[in-house]
Amino acid sequence: MKKTYLATVSLAALLAAGTAQADKLDDIIASGTLRCAVVLDFPPMGSRDADNNPVGFDVDYCNDLAAALGVTPEYVETPFPDRIPALVSGRADVGVASTSDTLERAKTIGFSIPYFAFTNVVLTREGAGVDNFEGMSGHVVGSVAGTFEGIKLEENIKAWGAGEFRPYQSQADVFLALSQGQIDATVVTSTVASSIVASGQYPGLKIAGDAPYPIDYVSLIALREEQGLINYLNLFVNQQVRSGRYQELYDKWVGGTAPGLTIDGVYR
Amino acid sequence: MFDTALTLKDLMFLAKGAGITLSITVVAVLFGTLLGTIFGAFKAQASALAAAPLTFVLDVLRSVPLLIQLILANAFQSIAGFGWSPFMVACVMLSLYTSAYCAEIVRGGIEAVPAVTRRAARSLGMTWAQDMANVTLPMALRVALPGWIGLTLGVMKDTALVLWLGIIELLRSSQILVTRLQEPLFILLITGAIYFLISFPIARLGGRLEARWREND
Amino acid sequence: MFNYTFHWHQAFRALPDMMWGALVTVEVAVLSMVLGIAFAVLLAVARMSSNRLAHGAATTWIEVARNTPALFQIYMAHFGLGSFGIHLSPWWALMAGITFNNAGYLAETFRGALRAIPPTQTRAARSLGMGPLRAFWSVVMPQMFRISFPPMTNQMVWAILMTSLGLTVGLATDLAGVTQELNVRTFRTFEFFALAAVLYYLIAKAVMLGARLIAWRLFRY
Repeated sequence: MKKTYLATVSLAALLAAGTAQADKLDDIIASGTLRCAVVLDFPPMGSRDADNNPVGFDVDYCNDLAAALGVTPEYVETPFPDRIPALVSGRADVGVASTSDTLERAKTIGFSIPYFAFTNVVLTREGAGVDNFEGMSGHVVGSVAGTFEGIKLEENIKAWGAGEFRPYQSQADVFLALSQGQIDATVVTSTVASSIVASGQYPGLKIAGDAPYPIDYVSLIALREEQGLINYLNLFVNQQVRSGRYQELYDKWVGGTAPGLTIDGVYR
Repeated sequence: MFDTALTLKDLMFLAKGAGITLSITVVAVLFGTLLGTIFGAFKAQASALAAAPLTFVLDVLRSVPLLIQLILANAFQSIAGFGWSPFMVACVMLSLYTSAYCAEIVRGGIEAVPAVTRRAARSLGMTWAQDMANVTLPMALRVALPGWIGLTLGVMKDTALVLWLGIIELLRSSQILVTRLQEPLFILLITGAIYFLISFPIARLGGRLEARWREND
Repeated sequence: MFNYTFHWHQAFRALPDMMWGALVTVEVAVLSMVLGIAFAVLLAVARMSSNRLAHGAATTWIEVARNTPALFQIYMAHFGLGSFGIHLSPWWALMAGITFNNAGYLAETFRGALRAIPPTQTRAARSLGMGPLRAFWSVVMPQMFRISFPPMTNQMVWAILMTSLGLTVGLATDLAGVTQELNVRTFRTFEFFALAAVLYYLIAKAVMLGARLIAWRLFRY
């Protein structure tokens, strides 16, 4: 009786010790691969080259992170609404996917300190009759379901009481709908809007002024309980800025002075 | 005829997507048929009460949209910590989904064999297993085969939904190309043609078989 | 194993919104079924006709509907037609896609049923002084519906299931769309979609029950 009790206790202790040790950071290093959730219909942050391979700011950022960890990067393409589910369901380790650090999301996933910052602009089509932000009132507009700017735009349409909002499931569908005339305008980050207009892929698209939204700080994401990993990500973002790599990547993909990542008058 | 930026490489990319579509189909139909045959035979033989739990589960699989089943299965495997890949989730869920329809087809086939025929077989001294193997199944197969071919094609088309799990199958590869090349109509038409080329010949074969066997009845 | 806390109260709070979504789901499915039946009768007759153009057009419609994924058809209705400058709203794109699909499958069902009705019946009706349309409408078609009723019920259930694909073309008001909206805001995927699955199951059961009642009322001798 006593013997079995002892055996059970020691076995339980052994099992507990075995499961309590390794966290996500250990797992990544041990497995030798870092699986990054990236969004690939959001140039210049993420897109595909002529060979359909992933490229972009976020892809390079993932490569840097993998190099720092000493592992090989692997890209898991996720449309915007799928970023967090992909992380939660264990398909990816880290999200390098321009994720706005909202409080609602922080209930589900963990954020690093911001690694990029966007301002939002109105993207419309020639002849659609939208000249500025307020001009969208009464028009059919669209954005990606559940994104920072998508949620804001839907609220605007409701507040104006005129027009219609359509949530699409990927950024590519929004641009396609806009260029085809299914919708008249969308709100999107200025970086992406200029890149889309400059690419000439979607003829007739133009930027019609800023959207009066606060600066959209975006962070790397990981599972909420993986504090060790999030701690590593924070330091990594800090080092990217400190080493000048952040500016270097900004020059490569966007050009100009990289946006500041600190907020005046408050910690973190 | 078409002025397109689509390259041979992009066509290979689509072909790779079609390969994923086909491999998921093969796995789902294989395991789905295996499970479905067992479920169907059980439902045809067991009493309604004994089969009730199974009947309910199969009924749910046929009454909830596959897209929602896939999303739920994926959410569940992450909650339970299985650590399955999306491909695995897709194969498991589609196999179960296939088995639900296959069970009905198999049950219909077995029940189409007249009871007197089976009684005659047994009275000739055949065991239950001999009757099943030599009399009932061959006859049931004939009734069930056209439905089974239809099911296989249905599953092939339903695999398009696994793009939701992040699997780059045929339809998702075409969306990726549309994003890059901005030729939605042309690329979507090619994609539709690929689905059609896979599905149509098999559908025709099924129709032919059905017609020929009907003549012999 | 279950390192996850379920937030069911959050899902139950959203139940009224999801019920409104279910109403849109049923609305789209029923309308697409009514339109689908109308097109299917025309397609079945056209495919059996000797007119080459009618036969070719009907065959193309039927084979494309049956040999490509429903998701593809709905996507085409929104973004494919969009390339031609034909803009269907998400609701109409879903509606058009499912109607196209329903019509293709039902046409084959009807064609099979029509073959099972002896041509002598049409001749008998004609000899009673009915015109060809009248004979088809009052004699052949009721029997065609009676024979095709079970597959029509199945198609109705499929129509319900297909409505869930509307969210891929930007529809947010049907049951799947509402659920996805809740999901992308809160990321409580399992809870919301489990509730949606229960609602879909109940709708499908209601359809089966309704079909049985209709069959009992219409087709008893």
